[in-house]
Amino acid sequence: MATQDSRGILFTNTQPQQGFRLLELPPELDTLLSAKDAPSLELKSPSAALAQAVPDPSAQEYVNLCTTDKTYRIRQVQSSNSIHVLRPSLGRISRADIKVVEEEAGESGALNLPDDAVSAIAKCGSTLELHIPDGGFSAVPFLERSLQLYDRRDGDDDIMMDDNQATGDMDLIEVQRLRDQVCADIPVSAAQCEDGWVDICAFVCASAGWRPSARMRFNVWKRMAEGSVLQGIDLEKQFLVGDLWKSVLDDGDDSEAPFPRALLEALVRKLCTADERPPLADEIKWASFDKVECSRWVGETYLAAMAPTASSAIGRSDFLRSWKDSLPESWRGEASLSKLQDGAYQSPDPTTIFFVEPSQRQHTAKASAGAAAAKAKPTRNWHELLKSQKRN
Amino acid sequence: MPSIRIHPHASPAAINPAASLSPNLSHPLTNPLPQLLQTPSGLAFLELQGTINLPSNESDDGSYNKESYSPKGNTFETPVGKLMFPDYSALNPDDTKWMKRAYLYVGRYQRMTGEVKKLPRPIAVLQRRESSGAPPNAEVEELEVLEIVRYKILFKNRPEPVNDV
Repeated sequence: MATQDSRGILFTNTQPQQGFRLLELPPELDTLLSAKDAPSLELKSPSAALAQAVPDPSAQEYVNLCTTDKTYRIRQVQSSNSIHVLRPSLGRISRADIKVVEEEAGESGALNLPDDAVSAIAKCGSTLELHIPDGGFSAVPFLERSLQLYDRRDGDDDIMMDDNQATGDMDLIEVQRLRDQVCADIPVSAAQCEDGWVDICAFVCASAGWRPSARMRFNVWKRMAEGSVLQGIDLEKQFLVGDLWKSVLDDGDDSEAPFPRALLEALVRKLCTADERPPLADEIKWASFDKVECSRWVGETYLAAMAPTASSAIGRSDFLRSWKDSLPESWRGEASLSKLQDGAYQSPDPTTIFFVEPSQRQHTAKASAGAAAAKAKPTRNWHELLKSQKRN
Repeated sequence: MPSIRIHPHASPAAINPAASLSPNLSHPLTNPLPQLLQTPSGLAFLELQGTINLPSNESDDGSYNKESYSPKGNTFETPVGKLMFPDYSALNPDDTKWMKRAYLYVGRYQRMTGEVKKLPRPIAVLQRRESSGAPPNAEVEELEVLEIVRYKILFKNRPEPVNDV
């Protein structure tokens, strides 16, 4: 019998045991961690206040694993079997104990001790699995909770105006530090935090992080569009952001700034073509806008400002006219409903229109996709039914 | 809540405590497992249905007791049984047919039959990093990846009686 010739390896159990966690690696993480210069990973969970940013109550307590640009939800999976972690034995077995096993082993398969021994040093009854939920992760809901709303009406006394000069001096490092502070509590990767930050045009001013309201963003856009016309700045060609800022100031008088420069820069960063967008840590000096992208953003922002809910729906033709009027002359053709993103708006009746928040959009898209999937698979094959259940 | 950093590579001392622990062990620990199961740190997986029952004075829950465990502290090993890979030949490590069969003898009359399997996804073994040098700040917890394991020895069946080994 084959067993007679093969070597036996003494199997022992080490006390006390060590504490290990087993983490199942998706292929891309395996590649990342196997590399010589593998980066550190981070486990992030939301602060108690931020946990409520996600409406799903089952998802309020969790830990996410973050690489520099990816986020995974961690799920602890119990298994009925236990995994013992083995290591070559340190040879700390008493000779008397070995004898017991050795005798039992019989004369064959003589053990060459202590080299031929492995020892269980830890037992794990569960593994950590990683998954990315449908729709992925976004920092936006968390940023919306952690940043203050910036929504200044014309004529309002603005608390921030007093600080405006000071914030001009706030250096990039300090701004970065503040942003890092905000992002530390947001359980997604740094790159996704940056994307979210840019997406909602967040900015730092007077030692605080702000998110401009849709109306504020639209107003800033209008000032930019008007200023660019007055100063002859072609937004589609590369321009100096400093020139654009000067164009929105009334007669170049700095003290009369209608909003913080950081807000204008946040908008420019959001609207500039992706290949020109510098990392958030760097100042944005040059930019040019893409006509199609930018026009769409203006339309959606205007709709979000004027008709954020079904009950505040506005007339379609009014909307299209205002949208058109807020665009540079040569862009006016871009203002049509077909240019808006799928699901960005809904119409309660044929003449009115209102804005649908991106988070709501995913919901409806998912629901319809789920319905489609259910329709497509009217399987009665129990093999497949069980299989799909297991996956869940 | 502050984030917890996971270092991609373990410090050398964490990988092989034997080096610092047993100065009389002049050579590095030889790994008796088939080459396929060997990893740089020496860690390998053995999956078992059920538990290993140890003498009662030893805790069997596998729980990590921070007070009692220290790599430099006293550890002791209790022999459990004998592992065998009957079809494995060190001379021909590339032939993987041997993976189909593995035995774990426990006591004289019991044997479990299992196999060596490639894990569907590799598994990283994480451990709390011993803070060396850093101020003993309990708030700062760090983890490190000790090893990435790709195979396991799997015994999914119950022990069967054998009359002689």
